[in-house]
Amino acid sequence: MEGWCGMKLRRWGAGLLICGYLLLLSWGIIGHALKIPAAGNTLGYFVVWDMFCGWQAFDNRTHFIAEDSAGNYYRVQEPWGAFQPFGHVDRVNYDVSNQLAPRHIRNVLSHTDHPPIDRVYVVQEIWPKQFNVPDRLWSSYFHEPKDQQSYFNLRAICAADGTLIESNPDWYVAQGLKSIADNPRLRTQAQGASPFYNTFFNPRLAAEANSSFSAADNGLTN
Amino acid sequence: MSVKRGVKSLFAGLERFFFAEEVPYGLALVRMCLPTVALIPMFRRFFRVRELYSADGCPQQLAELFGNGRLLPELPAEFAAALYGVMLFALICGVFGFRTRLSFLIGGLLYIYFNMLDAIGTMTKYSVIAAHVLLILSVSDCGAVWSVDAVLKRRAGSGGLSALPVRVPVWPARLIQILFAAIYFGAAITKVQTPEFFSGEQMRYWLVSNWNWPNPIGELMALSPALLMISGYITVVWEVTFPVLAWRPLGRFVALGMGVAFHVMTIFALGLWIFPFICTTCYLAFLQESDIAAIRGILRRLRIRGGWLGRPRVIAAMLLERRPVMVPLAGIWLAAGLAVAVGSVEADYRLDVYGIRGNGALLALPAMDTATVRQMINSQEPLREKDKFFSFDIGSMVMAGQLANSRSQFAAGEVIIAQCNLNPPHEDLWVECVIQDAEDRVIDVAGQFVTRDQLFAKFNYMTAEKLVPGQYWVVLKSSGQEVSRRPFELTGDVSAEGGAEGMLSN
Repeated sequence: MEGWCGMKLRRWGAGLLICGYLLLLSWGIIGHALKIPAAGNTLGYFVVWDMFCGWQAFDNRTHFIAEDSAGNYYRVQEPWGAFQPFGHVDRVNYDVSNQLAPRHIRNVLSHTDHPPIDRVYVVQEIWPKQFNVPDRLWSSYFHEPKDQQSYFNLRAICAADGTLIESNPDWYVAQGLKSIADNPRLRTQAQGASPFYNTFFNPRLAAEANSSFSAADNGLTN
Repeated sequence: MSVKRGVKSLFAGLERFFFAEEVPYGLALVRMCLPTVALIPMFRRFFRVRELYSADGCPQQLAELFGNGRLLPELPAEFAAALYGVMLFALICGVFGFRTRLSFLIGGLLYIYFNMLDAIGTMTKYSVIAAHVLLILSVSDCGAVWSVDAVLKRRAGSGGLSALPVRVPVWPARLIQILFAAIYFGAAITKVQTPEFFSGEQMRYWLVSNWNWPNPIGELMALSPALLMISGYITVVWEVTFPVLAWRPLGRFVALGMGVAFHVMTIFALGLWIFPFICTTCYLAFLQESDIAAIRGILRRLRIRGGWLGRPRVIAAMLLERRPVMVPLAGIWLAAGLAVAVGSVEADYRLDVYGIRGNGALLALPAMDTATVRQMINSQEPLREKDKFFSFDIGSMVMAGQLANSRSQFAAGEVIIAQCNLNPPHEDLWVECVIQDAEDRVIDVAGQFVTRDQLFAKFNYMTAEKLVPGQYWVVLKSSGQEVSRRPFELTGDVSAEGGAEGMLSN
């Protein structure tokens, strides 16, 4: 009898587990298909299968350059050897959102010998991906000489403890913005429509004033 | 009445699907193979535990990337090293099937913990797949056969080694199978939502990325747009049909066979090594009892003996049987885990990741040339015209709106299709295609706007209208600057055809 009960309980437990798991997988698929923000969080990462969704036309590497008070520059790179997790590229380059930068700076500077550092520049190096093609393939497919040029973009400036001092747009974002700002009509319209916050009129204050006996200034704060 | 019968039969079908009983050979194979593969990248990271996963390094938590803050504790390096060692030990125990569930529960949770701690250099989608499967294994009976636990159980019972293997419900294997159906279906949705995947651009840029291991075949494929488009469509069709075929008697072989081929191709085309093996080892969950019987029959006919494969677990079981009676197996597991944890702390100390003890002091930061640095920091270099273009080619065949072949010889009367592929992001461009003869005399100029959303632009030329047989160039210009040029030869007798064509076209 006990064995029969135990078996029934196990069966129910397994059933619940199966249902829960299927719901979880369904949530991931539906959330991803419909782009529901509920699936775009830490737990969602475990059930959303968005492999290979964003690959760019330009390759990039991130350089960290420290400057001391005498104007000397140092490469903020692990002198004990950078970890290359998935190939021959240093770990810090896989950080597309630049969130690792402060911790990387702090970790390298705290474990290395160097003069006091004033600031650390975070520089993106960019080049078109076709230049990654090996020389033998280049010569057979492309008819031009392989003259690769890198572009640099100052992404951020940090203090020696990694604190962000200045942040600039990512090269890809900057390039996109430039292409839009290239339109004179849009540029003119944007200049004439600068967003601002009205400090003279406050709807909340106006509403409060209307509900009380003092409605003389009609919400005008200054 | 019929609705009730239908519902009843549906439930009966579901019950058969999830709770049919089989000997869990497939799961046992997954138990042995998947953690072995998952352990390869984790062993590599053992030498960097302090740097990647501890408070003395620079972990980047997955939760932080999603704006959920630091969900997990970042432990002191010694504790992190100890736990990391326990994770490796637990997963190895899982492979051999020693205290299987406990091993996978502890190993799986620690595997997830360490992966989530380093979202930059450890966590990938293959870690997610492995995490799912490790947790499923922890609630399964994957240790019921071909394991130390099974040998110990059989030797403790009256049946000895000849006892029949146990039969258990198949639902854990089904969950792994459903997981893969969901993965492929989800991946197909991603691709369907990405038009650039079907036109080949996305694959091309990925194939020429050097973010993974070397991929010589991928680089070759990247220069063949037709191949990319065809393989893209085949991939999506396979991914969408996988859930339909995976549980059919014959469809199963098609879906899994294509899956193996696809994943093996990603090794050579994309330079992925762990991902394909994580996936293909999980395919073993699709093996049924009858498949194993068939494989055994084939091996017997080929006179291949596999008895020696079981020797390690039998030896391990015999050694474990010699423990004092009062010591439970879980105690042995815990003691060994503790020893591994202590050993890991010692290893972390001796490895001296930051080279401080080996060097006798902190290592120095490498200096950089001032001129180079200033050029990097102050650079405002605009993008060269030619860097806005990936490639320029001429041919005669179009597939899915794109040039699908490359030619340098055309017969008079043929249409020459010139296509340039652009590197996004780029601004709106004025792009010209110029036909020049061997003496660089301009014969024809055509231009078009290429807006910022366009990834390619095509120009069609009717050769019979103006050209006579000879050598020519097609020159691509952007903003008035030459970007690229392709030579071509026009062959044949054009005089009669040209006249006819000209008359027809006017």
